[in-house]
Order: sequence, then structure tokens, then C-alpha cells
Amino acid sequence: MKTFAHVNAGSVDEVTNLLAQNQGKAKINAGGTDLLGVLKHRILPEYPEMLINIKKITGLNIIEADEEWIRIGALTTLVEIVKSPLIEKTCSLLKEAARSVASPQIRNIATIGGNLCQDTRCWYYRYPDEIGGMIKCFRKGGKTCPAVAGENQYHAIMGAKKCFAVCPSDMAVALTALGAVCTLAGVKGVRTIAVEELYTPLGNVLSPDEMITAIHIPKPAPDAKQTFFKFTLRKPIDFAIVSAASIITIDKGICTDVRIVLGAVAPTPVRALKAEEFLKGKALSEEIADQAALLAMDGAKPLAKNAYKLEIAKTLVKRVVKDSVVTVNSLNDPV
Amino acid sequence: MTTTQNLSYATITLTVNGENHSFILGEGSHEVTPSHTLAHTLRERLGLTGTKVSCDDGACGCCTVQMDGKAVNSCLLLTVECEGKEITTIEGLGDPVTGTIDPLQKSFIDHTAFQCGFCTPGIIMSAKSLLTENPAPTRDEVKESLAGNFCRCNSHYHVLDAVMAVARKGGNK
Ligand SMILES: Cc1cc2nc3c(=O)[nH]c(=O)nc-3n(C[C@H](O)[C@H](O)[C@H](O)COP(=O)(O)OP(=O)(O)OC[C@H]3O[C@@H](n4cnc5c(N)ncnc54)[C@H](O)[C@@H]3O)c2cc1C
Ligand code: SF4
Ligand code: FES
Ligand code: FES
Repeated sequence: MKTFAHVNAGSVDEVTNLLAQNQGKAKINAGGTDLLGVLKHRILPEYPEMLINIKKITGLNIIEADEEWIRIGALTTLVEIVKSPLIEKTCSLLKEAARSVASPQIRNIATIGGNLCQDTRCWYYRYPDEIGGMIKCFRKGGKTCPAVAGENQYHAIMGAKKCFAVCPSDMAVALTALGAVCTLAGVKGVRTIAVEELYTPLGNVLSPDEMITAIHIPKPAPDAKQTFFKFTLRKPIDFAIVSAASIITIDKGICTDVRIVLGAVAPTPVRALKAEEFLKGKALSEEIADQAALLAMDGAKPLAKNAYKLEIAKTLVKRVVKDSVVTVNSLNDPV
Repeated sequence: MTTTQNLSYATITLTVNGENHSFILGEGSHEVTPSHTLAHTLRERLGLTGTKVSCDDGACGCCTVQMDGKAVNSCLLLTVECEGKEITTIEGLGDPVTGTIDPLQKSFIDHTAFQCGFCTPGIIMSAKSLLTENPAPTRDEVKESLAGNFCRCNSHYHVLDAVMAVARKGGNK
């Protein structure tokens, strides 16, 4: 790896000041499980001059709750989320999503903040510089997207323009379903934004001087059914082909509240708003689930090689609707 | 703020297999630069070549070591960020003076739980971390804990038997 200056930041202010001073030439390193791969293969046109280690900042590694909110610090590791009794009790879908990420070794160091801010996994974007030169595609300020006419089996089936890479973060899908917001700190102060609005077609909404400091989840209704399904080609260490997270409240057999979110189908997590609208006030059945699945695919425009993802997405929507019990998801079970 | 930039005298200290090691940060041939991974430092600075590097990307687990008792990929950690940490590598499981090895290592030999052996140190370090935390795991728990270790020679079934043989029996299958 080409070298860089290295700073151990002691506070959030120090991080945002360094980010601002270095004008895009400094990068945050949290767990490093995504960033180090990006740097080793020199996939970006610009190589950072400085890495800012944020792991020594105190207070960013917590899981706590009050009456209304659950707060997770940005430095909380995925294994801490998987093992937290509070998360298990209140946000089982987040636990399932965290448990589905990568491997035990990665979950031991990967952070939730880094998971949300990880770079895309599009294989053109990730093409290593050392074996033929990095590919300067649209997302890197280039003029074309080789995926459109190329190998696009894992790319977006909806909501994409110019760049067809999907958002790789499993935490983003789960947190969108839970209606979570995150706190962003920058040199001008602090703001909050819904995880649902964190992503743009070419990245995320963070300014160059901002970092995520915490994630806040409104406490889900205790009787709401939470589900997270992730379809992958192999069970461990794999990104989603399609994932689905849902939180459904059923009162006397009638669906009174529902959020369904699809992952790995678009550049952002996608709320199946039409399906949600349709399900509200209905008694859930096989046919209703089928119709909701069709509505969830409304507006989908698959590329030449990824129409199969539509079928997987529909199946997952059907399953989350039918799966009225919070169960440990068999798709996520180890080999 | 501690900058490790251009400070030729800056050092970092970590414990590897119970011994303290200090490294000078810098570009010199025996120094550690901020971009060195822990895997690189273990192999190239300390000569602990039991830790293997295969993918160098977090995907195979060959470089697995323990950091403060937890299994981690040493190819995804910067040595500068391991200051004060306790690292255990495969070499740390045996006793070079008496020649004794860990029961887990012995079990791998007894079960021929490898072919080429390239993945073995990483698998043993993952399994060791599991057994330290949970001495009586089920077979499924062993599988889950080894989900980040890839064996190209397909020794997985023998590995499961080897780990289960040393797992404490606690009503497990
Ligand atoms: C083999 C492998 C398999 C993987 N599988 C999955 C998977 O199945 N699902 C999945 O979701 N992910 C997966 N990942 C991706 C990812 O590495 C992890 O999910 C992880 O959570 C990233 O967290 P980190 O702390 O290591 O991030 P880092 O690598 O430290 O950071 C990632 C990016 O986010 C930025 N960043 C970090 N923290 C913050 C913050 N607080 N505020 C602002 N920016 C920040 C960094 O500058 C960097 O650009 C996988 C990675 C590997 C190597
Ligand atoms: S899909 Fe996006 S990241 Fe991939 S090649 Fe096209 S522009 Fe680049
Ligand atoms: S070499 Fe580190 S995971 Fe493969
Ligand atoms: S024994 Fe050869 S890779 Fe596992």
C-alpha cells in the first residue's frame, strides 16, 4: 500500500477540522475493512495524503436507549450489535442484518458508521489498478459506465441513472426499515438526516468535512414483526444479490403499519412504498403477498443481465409479508 | 493530537505472543510505515511467517490472528493502529522450549485436518478464539465461527471434526 500521513484523532472536532483543512485529501479510517481494500488496489483517481484514525475517540462506541430512541455510536462494531441484548430485544432485524455481514473476523472490527459509508462494490469500479489500470467510470468523474453494456448481473434494477452500482450496505437497508436517522458532525455544526436520505446516485450526502457520529432508531412497537432476508450466492462472506427488511404491525389479523425496504436493487435502499400503501388495512394472505410483491417491483427496469433479480426481490417481499413471526432467518444460517 | 507523520523517532509498541515489540515509524528498511498492515509487520519485521497472506483483502481468513482475544484479519489492520494491543499468532500457541503444542493443533494433526496447510494457521486461530469464548460449542457454532476462513483443499469436514474433538462436551452433538 502506498503510504500516507497518519493521525490518531482524539475528538470529533479534531476529525472535522482535519477533514476541512485537508480539503478532500484526508480520509477517515474506522475499522478499515473497506477502506484498506480501496487503498491497496488504488481504485480511486486520488490517493489520500492522510488517514485519520477515529477509533481512539471516546463515547462513539455505545448502544443505549431512552423511552423513545435507541442510540448506536458510529464506532460500535457489528459484533457488538449482534451480541447486544438491547438490540436483540428491540431491533431483531438489525441484529440479523449485522450477523449477515461478511465474516466473524470482519464483524469483530467493522463499524456501523463505516458500513453505512462504505464504497460501492461494482466490479468495474473496484477493478484493481495493478492489473491493467483502474477504470475511470462515471462514478469517478469519467464519461461512461462500462456496466451498462457489460457484465451487469449484480447491478441495479431500478432507480439508477448514469451509475448502476447498488448500495452494498446491509446496515443501510435494516436502518431504513427501522426509520433510523443519523447525526452528522461537520465544521459548521451538527445535523441529522434519515438513513433513507443518506445516499445519492453517486455516493452519499456527507460534505467533505462531515462524519457520522451516531445512529438513532425510534423504538419499534414491541408487537411489530421484524424480518431481514438476504439472498446471497454463498452463505458467509457475500454481499446481497437482493435483501429485504420489513417491520409489520398486525392488529386482529389486519396490517396496521408496515415498512418494507429492498437492498441491492438500486443505488440506495428502496422503500416499497406502493406495496406498503396496498398492505395497510388488509388481512395478510398468500394472494395479498403476491400482489404486494408485484407492486414492490413497480417501475423496475432491469439491465440486460439482471432481470433474474426481479424474481428474487419479489420472492423476498412475498416472504417478509408471509413471515409473520420474528424468526431466525434460515437464509442467513451458516453453511 | 499524535501525528505519526515525519516523526522518525515516533515508536509504537504492541505485544506479540506475550513479548513487547517496539517499532520505529518511518520509511527506513527496518521501520514500520503507517501503511504497513499487521500481517506485513508480523511476517516481514518479526519473521512470524506462520500467519499467511493469501487474498490480502479480508476474504479468505489465512491471515487470522487474535487481537485482545478476538479473531481478526491481520491484512485489514494497520500496524500503527495496533498500539498497545495484544496479538497472538499461531506461533504463540506452542511452546518452543518444551516443543509442546496446543491441544487444538494436536487435534488438527490427529484428524489430518488439512492438505496443503496454507489456510490452517488462520483456521486454528479462528477456532481458538471461539473455544476461548465458548469452550463447548455446537457443530453449527463452529461452522459459523469459521465462516471467514476459506480452504481451497476442502479440508472443512476434517476441520470440524478436529475442533469438535477438543470442544468440551456439554450436551452438544
Ligand atoms: C470480504 C468482505 C466482505 C464484506 N461483506 C459485506 C456484507 O456482506 N455486507 C456489508 O454491508 N458489507 C460488507 N463488507 C463491507 C464493509 O467492509 C463492512 O461492512 C464494514 O462495516 C465497514 O466498516 P469499517 O468500520 O471497516 O469501515 P472503513 O473501512 O473504516 O470505512 C469505510 C468508508 O467509510 C468512511 N467512514 C468510516 N467511518 C465513518 C464515519 N463515522 N463517518 C463518515 N465516514 C466514515 C471511511 O472514510 C471509508 O471511506 C465486506 C467487506 C469485505 C472485505
Ligand atoms: S455502475 Fe457505477 S460504479 Fe459501476 S462502472 Fe458504472 S458508473 Fe462505475
Ligand atoms: S489474507 Fe487476510 S483475509 Fe485473506
Ligand atoms: S489445506 Fe490447503 S487451503 Fe486449506
